[in-house]
Amino acid sequence: MASSDWLDVAGWSEAFSGWSMDNVHNILPSSDIDMQVTIPNTWAWQEPITLGPIFNMQSGFASIQPALESFMHATIMCTVVFTTMMLTMLAIPYIERKFIGRLMDRLGATTALRSLWVGESGVTAGEWWNQLPFGMGAPIGWVVKALNSKWGNSHELETIARVNNRSYHGYWFLLPGFFQAFADFMKFATKEHIVPKNADKVVFEVAPVIIIATTIMVFAFIPFGPHIYAANPELSLLFMMAIFGIAPLGVFFAGWASNNKYTLIGGMRSAAQLTAYEIPLLITVLGVAVLSGSFNIIEIVDFQMGQDQGNVWNIFLMPLGALLFLVTMIAEVERIPFDMPEAEAELVEGWWTEYGGIRWGLMFAAEYMRSYAACILFALFFLGGWEAPFQHTLSDLPAVGGVFTTVFLLTPGMIWVLLKAWLLFAVFVWIRASLHRVRTDQILEFGWRYLLPLSMLNLVIAVFLRLQFWTGEPWELWVPAAVTLVSGGLFVILAIDEDKEALEIQRRPYSTQAVVKASPGSHRE
Amino acid sequence: MGKIVSPEFQKAAAEVLAVAASVIEGVDAEVAERSSGTSPRHVVVINALPDSWRNLAENLYSEHAVDYCSMVTGIHWPEGDEERKWEVVYHLMRTGVRDPPIEDGIVRPIIVDPSKLRGASIPLEIEIHVHIPDTTTPSVDSVQDIWIGADWNEKETWDLVGIDFDGHQGMRRVLQPHETPKGYHPLQKQHHLRYHGFEEMYDDVQGFKRKPADVGKIK
Amino acid sequence: MAEMWISMGPQHPMTHGLWTLKIKVDGETVVDTEPDLGYIHRGVEKICEARDFTQITTYCDRLCYASANTWSHAYIYAAEDLLEVEVPERAEYIRLVAVELQRIASHLMWLGAYGPDIGNLSVMVWCLREREMMMDLLQELGGSRMHYNFPRIGGVKRDLPHGFAQRARAKLKLFLNRIQEYEALFDESTVFLLRSQGIGYAKPEEMINHGVSGPNLRAGGVNYDIRWAHPYSVYSELDWVPPVERSSIKGADCYDRYRVRVEEMRVSASLVLQALDKMPGGAETYHEPGDPMILAKAPTRAPEGTTGAHHFEDSRGESMFYIAGGGEGRGKQPYRVSIRSPMFITIPYAAKCMIGYKVADIPAIMGSFDPCIGETDR
Repeated sequence: MASSDWLDVAGWSEAFSGWSMDNVHNILPSSDIDMQVTIPNTWAWQEPITLGPIFNMQSGFASIQPALESFMHATIMCTVVFTTMMLTMLAIPYIERKFIGRLMDRLGATTALRSLWVGESGVTAGEWWNQLPFGMGAPIGWVVKALNSKWGNSHELETIARVNNRSYHGYWFLLPGFFQAFADFMKFATKEHIVPKNADKVVFEVAPVIIIATTIMVFAFIPFGPHIYAANPELSLLFMMAIFGIAPLGVFFAGWASNNKYTLIGGMRSAAQLTAYEIPLLITVLGVAVLSGSFNIIEIVDFQMGQDQGNVWNIFLMPLGALLFLVTMIAEVERIPFDMPEAEAELVEGWWTEYGGIRWGLMFAAEYMRSYAACILFALFFLGGWEAPFQHTLSDLPAVGGVFTTVFLLTPGMIWVLLKAWLLFAVFVWIRASLHRVRTDQILEFGWRYLLPLSMLNLVIAVFLRLQFWTGEPWELWVPAAVTLVSGGLFVILAIDEDKEALEIQRRPYSTQAVVKASPGSHRE
Repeated sequence: MGKIVSPEFQKAAAEVLAVAASVIEGVDAEVAERSSGTSPRHVVVINALPDSWRNLAENLYSEHAVDYCSMVTGIHWPEGDEERKWEVVYHLMRTGVRDPPIEDGIVRPIIVDPSKLRGASIPLEIEIHVHIPDTTTPSVDSVQDIWIGADWNEKETWDLVGIDFDGHQGMRRVLQPHETPKGYHPLQKQHHLRYHGFEEMYDDVQGFKRKPADVGKIK
Repeated sequence: MAEMWISMGPQHPMTHGLWTLKIKVDGETVVDTEPDLGYIHRGVEKICEARDFTQITTYCDRLCYASANTWSHAYIYAAEDLLEVEVPERAEYIRLVAVELQRIASHLMWLGAYGPDIGNLSVMVWCLREREMMMDLLQELGGSRMHYNFPRIGGVKRDLPHGFAQRARAKLKLFLNRIQEYEALFDESTVFLLRSQGIGYAKPEEMINHGVSGPNLRAGGVNYDIRWAHPYSVYSELDWVPPVERSSIKGADCYDRYRVRVEEMRVSASLVLQALDKMPGGAETYHEPGDPMILAKAPTRAPEGTTGAHHFEDSRGESMFYIAGGGEGRGKQPYRVSIRSPMFITIPYAAKCMIGYKVADIPAIMGSFDPCIGETDR
């Protein structure tokens, strides 16, 4: 049984196109028209076209009606999906900006706003309101004092409170900064298009088109909800990963065509890195498909949701796969720690140094779109898509189950997908704020020598699970539990490799050198 | 208390060096006391003739473990004595560092109490003055191959003051643009600073009285 | 791919200042380097020949703007050597507080710039946040946030302000806790160790022969610090040990240089706390500017034939001033001021250290040597 919710946009669109085409059909005259028309051949068609002798408009229309209906339906759905994607993507740079600000202890607009009433020792430096003529500023002064008494700096550590940004800074965290994305985009849209002097002009123009177009095309196959998708072929997963993998070609074109040594190096690095991480990504996704029994994304989600199908989120069956997907996707979208191709430290901006204006703006947006696609895909493949956590368990509770059922019925599935995707994006941002950039050859070594075998291992595990433990009935509880516990245990054991003694000794002036080099990576031995 | 090098032993080591250096022909060394803060420092001040500079440098490096070249200064004395129209002042140092032992591929630093340093391992400052008589092409032997630290110092000295260094490989302008005209060495005394007198600084700051004929003039 | 010369700079986000590093790369490997300095050569040495001794202090602040106090103090010690002035002990203690606070601020600036070089953006904001604390303290002492003009020949401009000791102690206590956060972000991160260990080896003998000193040298296992080797100020009265790293036989790598500076921040913090405790007259007493406790009378003329020289432990190495007296105004102005910048000597050496590594290692290596172009070009 396919999962469903009330937000049946595809159904509405289909119904609407059907209804409108039916109306057109009914309006057309149904009588036969006796006519014979010959349209001579032209350069567009070689044979003359003969219409007639009998032409019935209504039945003629009826013969093309299915095609028109599906075209209209497709147009509507593409528009809806594109709009949904763009609107929901507004949350992505917002999350990035706010979360990174919190992680970096830098509060941006909230600090700026708050500085209007907070200064040293609760006194705003200069008491700016007194500069207003006619003493108009006096009420502002009262408001400032009131705000200071409630939301000023704590007076015990006066001098330190200026830099002690750890405390909660008030309720203004939501609005300021929301429109920054619009402002940025308008700025990009109005800038001049500069082509470097000896650049390869054709390739220079083609590269952004490839990158941006393929990125948007990826969203054609991503279902936002059970009925919100632009296209749903049987092999949608394969289509989508194939299109996702075309963008590296555009990146390489951009690096080459700019006639700039920096971009060339950036393009080379990017090509190498993206190729290296494409393969573990595809094998991991293959593992997901094997486990879920289908190459269709909606069926994969249904498999995780359905009480008569898998009924377990894939992350519990394939934690290794989820981790691999996460890491390879971060490398594919070129975020820190894998953003060597565009590392500002050496390459200024890497392969897109020479692009400006709307081309750069859209490519920058494309990078975030790819991150967004990665997050949504993770949510769909591993986190159960549009199923709420513990949806069936909560609905089956004895007393309060009814409440939960109503809530789940009212909430469209898209909400859950978005929440999971945004949460995962917050994880992406967290990783970006904490880690350093890995060097290109270290990235490649990591991809080829560690991720590729691991993804193969993951595939083997997926095949094993599917063949041995899948009986057509929902997964028995002990299978995912065992897999998760074993994987979690291994992760803990392998990740905790701190040498507590060495860390302690580092506190002294004469500290020890880590004799065991961190791996992987070559170290000029 | 913080450990520092003991002044008496530093003085003794300086005197040893000064005596040994004075033996070289054309070299005259003595120990000067400089004071700053709470304890005096003893510096070996040497006057050397340009011809014996190279000899002295090699001697200091090989015999006295002077391993660190700090600074090379060039001074132009157009109104000085006849033998001192140009002067090159070298500041060298002996760090007193010896090869530390190596265990398990890791260097174990010799952690010494500085107040217990004696003899040849005491850090020393050495200041060498080389006077060059009147000439339009002053030059001194280069010590680029002895102390690589002298390399860029010598380049800077030639660039700014005009004193050439015989045997220096790759002499070029370092602080001024590469296209600076040959023979232009700004720290020579015939080049005066603009706005040398403050009155001139406020004369026509915005250039209203400048004429087309003034284009290209420095002052 | 054939070998090609790439010019990094003069406008480049990585170079920490205005200079060009031309690198010859073979694919991703650096085969040769050539640094090109002099873009902000302001002619300070020539200018100083036309300024009184007290007017030169302001120029020396601006030599290395990230570490202004250490440079003005380096000059002042040389000028006092020239004019043969005895400085009161309290002034020496106050100078030590200023210099060591400046050293902490300079190293924080370095760490805040080093993180983004390697890709970690958070640590920049954290370090600048702590640097604000140091800047506040230095502003209380010197009057401005960056160029203080704090020392005078014979002493200091003014005494520690009221409450300075209490604020300094509170801020340094907070700072010592915050250092542990940086260490958590760096030392415990495998990615950082990947990017900094085994990169940019610098052998100690080579370093000494090249004239590299300071934290870069101490990262190689060489315990050499001007503060104890050619002692000045009151470092002998305080209990401290310069941090030295044990490096491998191949030399000091970026990780060692990083660790030395982190430990130096701790040592400087402890030096300031000790100096505040041991100040003659107490840290809470206040003397008016010009009081003999903080400023001795100094002659203003240096006759011809006198010279003054002083080696100083700057945040980046050994800086030195050599002043020849007998200039204009019958000796009111120096005849020649010669400035030794540690970075002028270290940058060509650092450029040599990069050969054989990857292009991506260049910011890591260059950043770990802590370049400051203001003092390089003077």
